[in-house]
Amino acid sequence: MEDIKAYIETGILELYVLGDVTPNEKIEVEEMALKHPAIKAELDEIERSMELYAKENAVEPSEHLRGRILGSILTNFGDDNNFPEKPHPAQNNIIALPAPKQNNFYKYAFAASLALLVSSSVALVSVYSRLQQSNGQLVALQLQNQHFTNRVNLMDRELSIFRDPSFKLLKLQGTAKTPASVVTLAFSPTKKKVMIDMSNVKLPQNDSNHQYQLWALVGGKPVDLGVFDAKADSTDMKEMKSIALADAFAVTLEPKGGSVNPTMDQMVVLGKF
Amino acid sequence: MSKKHKISLSEDELILSLRNHEKIAIEALYDMYSASLYGVISRIVIDTAIAEDVLQETFVKIWHSFSSYSSEKGRLFTWMVNIARNLAIDKIRSKDFKNQNKNQEIENNVTFIDEQNNTVYKPELMGVKDLVQTLKPEQKSIIDLVYFKGYTHVEAADELGIPLGTIKTRLRMGIQQLRKHFN
Repeated sequence: MEDIKAYIETGILELYVLGDVTPNEKIEVEEMALKHPAIKAELDEIERSMELYAKENAVEPSEHLRGRILGSILTNFGDDNNFPEKPHPAQNNIIALPAPKQNNFYKYAFAASLALLVSSSVALVSVYSRLQQSNGQLVALQLQNQHFTNRVNLMDRELSIFRDPSFKLLKLQGTAKTPASVVTLAFSPTKKKVMIDMSNVKLPQNDSNHQYQLWALVGGKPVDLGVFDAKADSTDMKEMKSIALADAFAVTLEPKGGSVNPTMDQMVVLGKF
Repeated sequence: MSKKHKISLSEDELILSLRNHEKIAIEALYDMYSASLYGVISRIVIDTAIAEDVLQETFVKIWHSFSSYSSEKGRLFTWMVNIARNLAIDKIRSKDFKNQNKNQEIENNVTFIDEQNNTVYKPELMGVKDLVQTLKPEQKSIIDLVYFKGYTHVEAADELGIPLGTIKTRLRMGIQQLRKHFN
């Protein structure tokens, strides 16, 4: 009881009625008034006297103000009556929106595109390397093909020469100096052609300063028919200078480019008809 | 000016009809309290036109926010006079108002208003003389500053150059005097 008296005497209740308290003090006073009838009674007394004091100090507003103020409120009042149902509290108008659907489509589409890009790149690289490989193989095959074609052509030529009845085959045998040497040539007097079958040339390989030279012996005189090299891998029929008539053929080793007259002691093969 | 038939209801009846948004309620409210509220408003807002606007805003606010009033927490008038005082103070503190330069020094105000309105003496104010005798001038000035002018007791202490404790005491003693007087 003493506490309540002391509380009243702080003057807080007066300040409360005068609207001069903080929000916290306001709540405190209202709670105290609710708990203690004595405080409530005291408050009521203060309020009542302040209300009367205000009445004592009242100032009558001008007459026209009554109509204006009531009119402004009752205009709205009419509106209110047109809507007997009070507008629903705003809360009721708030419809919870469905949680936005997680649309992952673009996310996945993007990821898929990336994966596709990566795998395409890998595939492209591997396809490219295989293409290179195939191209290499193709080139190799073409080369091989050409090689065979050449070979077939050569053989065709050889064959045509061997079949040609006008060609006579002559084996030039090695001389005493080089008994193992053999050179096979074909001679067609009618076509005035002399061919050396290079695949059957069996001569010591000439060095870079010397070449073999073919000679035809016509009436005992040597006639130059051209030079050739003796190589292990020669395959074709080499056509030499033309001549219509020959008694014999011989090959000598001459300085590179050939000589005007054969060096007789360098004769390696000789063959006569 | 004849005071036609002013509507008057008991506070409980008034509160009930206000709660039901009855037309008669706002009329009764105006007739019963407009002068008391305007007394407070017109002491804070000196310009008559603006004070009248504030009175209108006060009634509109009372009407629309009546659901927030609880009779358990106090008398209806206490609630309403706080609304009126706050709207009036908001008005004179607003930029518009300051620009108009229509506010006056506080010291002059109380007498200024009373001079302005001394033609409207009313029968119920017959007791004022006694009241002035009961209330010491230093008590009255503090009550008026806080109740009518919207000063906080801290501001009033500043304004009058009196310690806070003294302000509180004088305020309480003054109101005690009022209580005695009205009883």
